[in-house]
Amino acid sequence: MTDPSNNQPILIAFPKGRLGDELLTRLEGTPLALDETALSSRVLRIPTATPHVQVLLLKGTDLPRYVAAGVASLGIVGSDTLDEVDVDLLELADLKFGACRLSLCGAEGLTLDALRHKPHLRLATKFLKATSAWLKREGLTAELVPLQSSVELAPILGLADAIVDLVQTGGTLKAHGLVEISILGTTSSRLVAARGAYLADPERLRPLANELIQLLSR
Amino acid sequence: MATHTPHFPDLLFSGAARLRRWEGLLMGLLTNAGYSELRSSLVMREPHEKASLRFFDGDHLLALRWDYTTALARMLSKRFAEPPPRVSYAGAVFRRANQPWEPVERFEVGCERIHTDEAGRDEADVELARLLMAVPATLGLRAAILQIGSAALLRRPMEQEQLPQALADEVTRALLRRAPHRVKEALGDHPAAPRILAHVEALLSEFDGVVGLNALDRSPYAGLLKDEREHLRKTLEALSPFVPEGLQLRLDLADVQGLDFYTGPTLRLYAPGAQQELAAGGRYDGLYPELGRPWFAAGFCVRLSPLLDLAETRPDLFDSLGAEAQ
Repeated sequence: MTDPSNNQPILIAFPKGRLGDELLTRLEGTPLALDETALSSRVLRIPTATPHVQVLLLKGTDLPRYVAAGVASLGIVGSDTLDEVDVDLLELADLKFGACRLSLCGAEGLTLDALRHKPHLRLATKFLKATSAWLKREGLTAELVPLQSSVELAPILGLADAIVDLVQTGGTLKAHGLVEISILGTTSSRLVAARGAYLADPERLRPLANELIQLLSR
Repeated sequence: MATHTPHFPDLLFSGAARLRRWEGLLMGLLTNAGYSELRSSLVMREPHEKASLRFFDGDHLLALRWDYTTALARMLSKRFAEPPPRVSYAGAVFRRANQPWEPVERFEVGCERIHTDEAGRDEADVELARLLMAVPATLGLRAAILQIGSAALLRRPMEQEQLPQALADEVTRALLRRAPHRVKEALGDHPAAPRILAHVEALLSEFDGVVGLNALDRSPYAGLLKDEREHLRKTLEALSPFVPEGLQLRLDLADVQGLDFYTGPTLRLYAPGAQQELAAGGRYDGLYPELGRPWFAAGFCVRLSPLLDLAETRPDLFDSLGAEAQ
């Protein structure tokens, strides 16, 4: 009896943006490098140097849903994104690259103590769950202002007292006159897998997952 | 392939016919094995389950049946001094979806094996696994994987270490994701961290079959888990001669789904090419004692909703769908 799933290509979801750029650079010249021509076109499924392995480029926040639903069998995504979405998937490895700090940031001179004493603290962030968890740990309450981009503008324009955002080099913060006040945690890239696909097709997916871990943890 | 089941699915002609046919085939399989059907009311009167669909009837808060095992256990524990040993069921349950693509109304066929002596565990677990091994061929699935694990493999070490409930939950969630790095993060500098981490690494071992049980030699809890390991070994050895063509029997030491419910061996059915679990079950010896009956029990449930989706999206995974349509 033949396994009918063997003819189907394996789809891996890669994130667009900063993490995706670093990922593509790391894969250059490897068996999982993306086809350059397809990458510069509008092709949906981008072939790799390995036959039957194709890549979907997705917005980071959407990526876990595509993997959890089994559209893509494997994926690479930041732990910050994973912690914000409530989806059922396997998280096979911490790939370590793309590491950032999730930090509370504010105008130069602002301290955590000063924020603690504010009668009505407003924090702007994309990371509502992580910020809520930190507030709970610290015994603080705050109004969370959900933003999707350019979060660093919020304290400058008076929308919030401070922000919670990812910091890698600190360059963006510095450019906006902001500083890190407290580090809430660290984040990095993770290899994720669709539970059903990974457990049902171990012969196909485990070697590929191990190859990704080997290539990307270098 | 992704599935797009609406929360409350309307089944059109072929889907409705397939559901009725599959229910009939599976109930026939169970009847032939000595299981008798019970049908609990669709309405449950103790609606404490958060995932249930609740509604008021006058002043009374009620819920739609969210789980057959719970519904049947309540019925059996109230009505029988001695349990009927083999019961089966078929029908819908209603549970709030965890994922947007999951239905709320789910069609299921399943069975429960209940016994009063602990010594009956070995025989009951093998009987259930053999029945579940027959399900793929009954439905015409060309290939399937039956995974056997044991909830006790994580449960007992965590109990021995007396981990606080919140920490135990976090460790379970991390292992559910098969993420040892998350387990490490959760345990931090807890005194049991090195032992539990070594155990988790052993559970995540990729070896398979009876040999896979040797991974437990690397666990600091090897002695504690001696009986569970022996039970799994005997079960796997008893099943090996009966594995049907097209089915792979696998060992999955890291299966911790439903750890708050299952107490011993667990069963999960997958099909290569299908993205969802198609059947699940296991031993849950804690349920009847909670209801005042010193009974032991195990069972499984075939999830017909994802199977119906699979028949629509991946008919190539089935042998008999073409013949069925004629």
